[in-house]
Amino acid sequence: MRRSTAAVLGTLAGVGMIFGVRMAAPTQVVPVAEDAPAEAPADAPAEPDQGDEAAPDEEPAPDEEPADGGAGGGLTDGEFRGTGSKYAYGTIQVTITVKDGKVSAADATYPTGGDSATINPPAIEALNESALNAESADDLDAVSGATLTTGAYRKSLQAALDKAQG
Amino acid sequence: MGTAVSIELAADRPDDELRSLIADVCGWLHEVDARFSTYREDSEVSRMGRGELTSTDCHPDLRHVLGACADLWRATDGYFDAYAGGVLDPSGYVKGWAVEEASRRLAAAGCHTHYIGAGGDIRARGDRVWRIGVRHPWDETKVAWKLAVTDAAVATSGTYERGGHVINPRTGKPAHVLRSVTVVGPDLTLADAYATAALAMDGEGLRYLEKLATDGYESAAVTSDGRAFTSAGLPVAS
Repeated sequence: MRRSTAAVLGTLAGVGMIFGVRMAAPTQVVPVAEDAPAEAPADAPAEPDQGDEAAPDEEPAPDEEPADGGAGGGLTDGEFRGTGSKYAYGTIQVTITVKDGKVSAADATYPTGGDSATINPPAIEALNESALNAESADDLDAVSGATLTTGAYRKSLQAALDKAQG
Repeated sequence: MGTAVSIELAADRPDDELRSLIADVCGWLHEVDARFSTYREDSEVSRMGRGELTSTDCHPDLRHVLGACADLWRATDGYFDAYAGGVLDPSGYVKGWAVEEASRRLAAAGCHTHYIGAGGDIRARGDRVWRIGVRHPWDETKVAWKLAVTDAAVATSGTYERGGHVINPRTGKPAHVLRSVTVVGPDLTLADAYATAALAMDGEGLRYLEKLATDGYESAAVTSDGRAFTSAGLPVAS
C-alpha cells in the first residue's frame, strides 16, 4: 500500500502555499512533547489557585522545549506548580516534577467547575456525562479541533502528525 | 481563509497520479476560496454583500450555498446564520461543503481511501480504519477522545481558538456555555454546520445534540466548566 501525505499551508488564495507530497511508510507513533509552563516555575511549591495574575485572554504560551530533557540540569528537585494562565474561559495550570535536576514530568490541570460560566444544563438523558480525558496523540491519523488558522496549525498536533507521516 | 489543509491518500497508484489527484483537490479549494472568501474584495460573496451581484447572476455554486444556508437556518431554528455578523458570511457552511465535495471527487476518480482535513474538520473514507483525535479544549497537545471511523466526517467547533468566535444570534454575544462541540456523521457539510449551531445555542446545545443522534449524527461536547458529554453511538476507538 502506498500512501501520500500532503500538508498544504497558507491561505487558500495561493499566497505562499507550502505544499509537500511524499510517499510514506505506515504511520509511526508520534511522540508529542508536553509543553512546559509559560511562566518559570516558582522556587518553592506554589499555593494552588493562583489563577488571577495573568492578563485575561492570555493563552498559555507553550515553551518550545520538550519537558523531558529540554530543560538542562541545575534545577532543584521537587514538584513545582506554575502560575495559572487565565484566559477566556478558565485557568490552566501546569505542574512539573524535577528529578536529578531535570524535568521528569509535567501535568496540566484544567477548570473543573466554579471559575467559568455557570451553567445548569437540562437533564440530558441520551448523552453520557463523564470526566474529561486528556490523552496523548499516539497512533492517530488526524486531529479534529476548532478552526485552525495557518498560524495555529504550525503549533498543532495535526502539524506533528503531518510531519511524522512525511 | 487562511486555513491549513492536510490530505492523505492511501492508494496503490504511481506517484504522479497521486500528485495529480492532490493538485486537483488544491485547484478545487482555490476555486472555492476565490469565489467565497470574505477576505477578498473581488470574491462573489464580497460583491454580493455590497449589492453588486444578485443571485441570478452568480455562479451556481454560490446559489447552492445560499440555498443550503437558508435551509440550515430553518433547520436549526435560526442558530446557524450566514448573516449572524450583519453581513453575508457563509464560511461556516463553505468549508465543510468544499471538503466534502473534494472527497467526493477523489472517490469518483477511484481514490476511495483518503482523508482530507481542513482547519480541524475531517472527512475520511475508504477500506481502512482512521484514528481521529478530538482536540482537548484546554490543552492543545492532548486529545479528549480518540475515534475510529472508516467512512465519516468529524467536525469540531470551539470557543478556544482566538478569533474564532461563534455568535449566539439570540444574545448577540459570543457563545460561552459549551467550550467545544464535535459532531460525527456521514456528511461533513452538515456535521460542521450542526457543531457550529450547537455551540451557538449555549445552554440549549446539549439538548440539540441529543436530537441529532436520531439522525445519525453522534457527538461529543465539553462545557466551559470542564464536563464531558457523549452520545451513545460515538465511535470511540477501543
